Amino acid sequence: MHISEGILPSKILISGYVITGVTLWYSLRQLNRQSNPSEGIPQAALLTAAFFIASGIQIPIPPASVHFVLNGLLGAVLGWYGFPAIIVGLLFQAIMFGHGGLTTLGINAVIMGIPALIAGFLFHIRHQIKFPLRKSLSLQLFGFLAGIAGVGLSALLFFSIVITNLPSTLDQQLEKTAIYGLMFAHIPLILIEGFFTAMVVSFLQRVKPEILIN
Amino acid sequence: MKFNFEDHTHFNSLLHRWDVRYKIIGLFALMFAFASVDDLRLIPAILSISVLFYSLSQLPLKFLWHRLTYPGFFLLGVIGLLPFLSGDTIIFQWGILSLKLEGCQAVLLIISRFLAIFTLGLVLLGTSSTLSLIKGLRSLGLSPILTDMMLISYRYLFELGHQFQKMQRATQLRGFKPHHFSRRNLQIYSALTGSLLIRSYQQSQQVYKAMKLRGYGTLSQQRTHKKVTLDYYSAIALFITLLIATSLIGIQLFL
Repeated sequence: MHISEGILPSKILISGYVITGVTLWYSLRQLNRQSNPSEGIPQAALLTAAFFIASGIQIPIPPASVHFVLNGLLGAVLGWYGFPAIIVGLLFQAIMFGHGGLTTLGINAVIMGIPALIAGFLFHIRHQIKFPLRKSLSLQLFGFLAGIAGVGLSALLFFSIVITNLPSTLDQQLEKTAIYGLMFAHIPLILIEGFFTAMVVSFLQRVKPEILIN
Repeated sequence: MKFNFEDHTHFNSLLHRWDVRYKIIGLFALMFAFASVDDLRLIPAILSISVLFYSLSQLPLKFLWHRLTYPGFFLLGVIGLLPFLSGDTIIFQWGILSLKLEGCQAVLLIISRFLAIFTLGLVLLGTSSTLSLIKGLRSLGLSPILTDMMLISYRYLFELGHQFQKMQRATQLRGFKPHHFSRRNLQIYSALTGSLLIRSYQQSQQVYKAMKLRGYGTLSQQRTHKKVTLDYYSAIALFITLLIATSLIGIQLFL
């Protein structure tokens, strides 16, 4: 779900960098308001590295295999550190695998990072909403929502940006059909990522609950 | 996990000697100028410029070819259907499939821009180590929180990758069959991911204590600023690169 070099025109790439810059500035502002912002940096950095490695796990889903995006989980665990973490991860993917790119780093950060922040918000909103559910079930439900929100919004942004900005003469109806069709085709993967996120947060709650308090 | 992207950073070409801060600005400006090209007549120019920079960098062709394969296939997957879906002028008809001129032109433009930008990106990454790039970004004003995260992540990426490989091998030695999709397997993968996150979390606490003992986060450390030196060779190279970039954008506007 990364946009490669050469696909988008420069105005979209620059807009991507501008939106990323503003979102990053806001995220860092929130982090700098903490009593000791430097304390969370090593934790966020090592978790970023761990997410980077975990997102490479190949899950066999016939007839192919897929890997998880994990931006919903990342947002749930890292909170405001999620956006800088996404930028770091995308930069390493561009450097190491040529996945994404340097000029598309801004727009890819928008595609992956803003849904991660929304997923993080969704996950932490469970403390405010009183549900008549057991604590573990509520955690799994909001983990699932964070997982599907992260990858679902990313997929929607990715397909919309790519299809509407291709240097071609696709008619509007075809563009709409392509976006709906591709989103529909990705629903099973979005659901699987949601279940996976719920399973991971449930595991973390059982083994090391302090990771989920950021 | 082993990556070969830093195998050529010790060379002594013109591009290797270019100060990393000027190189980041110059090559990024050029890459954005390439991205702004949407006239097919400028394609030979952008491809020639990227070939010139690549040959000046003295990086081997094998390096480019090896790095190009994966993103190249990925790109073809995204734009492969364009010649059949986009445009009105049919140049070839085969049953219900019709190849259209406008779609072919769009694919040619995307592939050319991709090749030119990707080659320049590789010149930037292949002629400077990741650490010097991160330090360069920091001296250009990137947030210390972001650059510290980059440096620490980079430092522990390989170590955590190695730990993860060991964990995967251990699950397989205990009879885990990763080649079929089931709820149980998904649970095992989630436990693996969770264990990796917990390990990195625990390690981060030790890392923070060690960094704090070395004075990390203190005011005296934050106030340390390096003096910016003016390197004439790098400044001239930057000027030439910016001139090429602005010329390309200017020509594109006039065409």
